[in-house]
Amino acid sequence: MTQPKARWLEITAIVVVIAAVVRGLTVEADVTQGDVQRIMYVHVPAAWLAFLAFGVTVVGSVAWLRTRRRTWDRLAAASAEIGVVFTGLAILAGMIWARPVWGQFWTWEPRLVTTALLFFVYLGYLALRRAVLDPEQRARRAAIMGIVAFIQIPIVYQSVNWWRSLHQTSSRNSIDGPLRLTLWLAVLAFTFAYAVMLSRRLELARLEDELEQARLAGTPDVAGAAITAPTLEGVTRG
Amino acid sequence: MPFWAQVREIARKDLVIEIRTAEVLLMTVPFAAAALVLIPFAIGTDAPLLAELGPGLFWIVVLLFGVLVILRKSAVDEGPQQDLVRLLGIDPAARFTGSTVATSLLVLLFEVALLPILIALYNPDLGGWWWMAAVLPLVAAGLGLLGSLTGGVTASLGTRTSLTPLLIVPLALPLLVGATQAVESLQLGRSILPWLVLLAAVDLALAVSGVLAARPLEEVTT
Amino acid sequence: MNAKTLVTLDDVGLSIGGSVILTSAKLTVAAGEKVGLLGPNGSGKTTLLRVLATLLRPTSGTGAVLGAELGTDEIYAVRPDIVLVGHLPGLYPELTLGENLRFVARLTGRDPRRADEALAAVGLAAAADRRARDSSKGMLRRTELARALIQEPRLLLLDEAHAGLDADAIGLVDAITGRVVAADGAALLVSHEPDRLEVDRSLRLVDGSVEEA
Repeated sequence: MTQPKARWLEITAIVVVIAAVVRGLTVEADVTQGDVQRIMYVHVPAAWLAFLAFGVTVVGSVAWLRTRRRTWDRLAAASAEIGVVFTGLAILAGMIWARPVWGQFWTWEPRLVTTALLFFVYLGYLALRRAVLDPEQRARRAAIMGIVAFIQIPIVYQSVNWWRSLHQTSSRNSIDGPLRLTLWLAVLAFTFAYAVMLSRRLELARLEDELEQARLAGTPDVAGAAITAPTLEGVTRG
Repeated sequence: MPFWAQVREIARKDLVIEIRTAEVLLMTVPFAAAALVLIPFAIGTDAPLLAELGPGLFWIVVLLFGVLVILRKSAVDEGPQQDLVRLLGIDPAARFTGSTVATSLLVLLFEVALLPILIALYNPDLGGWWWMAAVLPLVAAGLGLLGSLTGGVTASLGTRTSLTPLLIVPLALPLLVGATQAVESLQLGRSILPWLVLLAAVDLALAVSGVLAARPLEEVTT
Repeated sequence: MNAKTLVTLDDVGLSIGGSVILTSAKLTVAAGEKVGLLGPNGSGKTTLLRVLATLLRPTSGTGAVLGAELGTDEIYAVRPDIVLVGHLPGLYPELTLGENLRFVARLTGRDPRRADEALAAVGLAAAADRRARDSSKGMLRRTELARALIQEPRLLLLDEAHAGLDADAIGLVDAITGRVVAADGAALLVSHEPDRLEVDRSLRLVDGSVEEA
């Protein structure tokens, strides 16, 4: 059952998302780029969420290492899962946007490259979680990896920035007025969507844990129960 | 036992095992050298082009094939050896540092072994080559640190050999950038210092992370 | 806690990766005791030894080993006083038997020459330069017993104490555990052959808890 608080969060999220969609599609088009610029309202918020989600994963990781409470590990994992989706979305939207504007799917813009690497870091993080069966071990390894990766991300970004400064000047176009407002609305909508997904995923993870606990409590499968006295009677002769 | 004496013991043990198996020198180095021979078949054997691309290819080969140095057998303590080392009461940070020193030295050996092969095959511009004496160890230390950290996180997992490279490679970008741009700056006659600072900063950040993570990593066993 | 009590487990439970191994293990071992641990295959004897060796943290319950509370950072101080001889050898295959023991001696602050003495004591003086990977199971086992001679632990944990050992070596197990016990330490021996165990008392691990046998 969804709690009333979560219900309100979901209703608010739906309202804000609808508002952002309507606004994003109806606001005046960019003077130079035209309608294609509207994809910015997906690309920028998605990229923002990628970083926010990974930040939350780090908070969960640090908190787990300090308290050893399962809730924190679930938060880290849930946020990373959602983060990888948004990172993928940011990259995809960026590529769709880049094609008509720059004539190619990909440019070596620092934020883009960093986001792409973030995608792989997330994938590695989730792969690591999948590879460990024991919950305590999984939480421990994932927490360390999450924190180490987080410390490295700004260095990755800065290194690409410097690398680029040697090759070409950075092009940063500014937007203002109604376009800026729309972008902020879109960011808000994405953040609400993230919050809803996170709360749903956390609830699901909690239920998974409960199910696991119930399974353990229900069956007295203590070590050794899998082995019984050998008997050769059931073996047929060929 | 003092910290650095423990570090020396662990590093020495890793290196002796490596010398006996010769995994890096007899397997990884020839493998990477073969790659350097194959690459021109894909991109063309035009001499000026190879001279231009050579340094970059060297670093990408060092990074990608260097992962094999990190994954080598002597870098991993199996279950019972892990129990042994934990019970000997070694400071986890000393253990981390010791195995990092061993891995970094081997990555450095790997780089130094590949360098003449690269020069012979690609004939790159060798201006300011003595700076390599700073760049090679900084990159080796960075890879060694990343290797110990990710290797610690993936210790004793069945999928370790596939998972570790995935964890290392995205985070190794600053090392690649620092190394390639240092070389390029030399050729363009610009200052190499910012790139050395970048490499040193990466090493420092990883070293601090590693020492802090050493104790929680120590308890990673199944 | 009694000063002479080296090990206590109070309702210790442990599950790894969703399987329950210990439910409520209660156990007390006093200084000078030599205790046998029995139980069928897969009943968790090895896991129990690893808990006692401070290598696994209990999921529930409390325990103390050599005065260090399990699950706290106190364990790091007492670890060098514990020797665990598992059923897989804690030796580096590429190092010689002598090198393996010298590694242990140096890291525990002992004179490395004691490694040679210990090897001679377990009857392996001539095999000191043989690599662990080229040694038989029995030789590896003897080398591990030599490790106990070097480290002089206060708590000696032997898994499958008699597996792969000839008659001489079984006498060696008794002699080494005897030494530890005589120095006010304690020894816990897992075995499948209760008749060959020379112990003060035996415990049996059944359904995740410990009973007097």
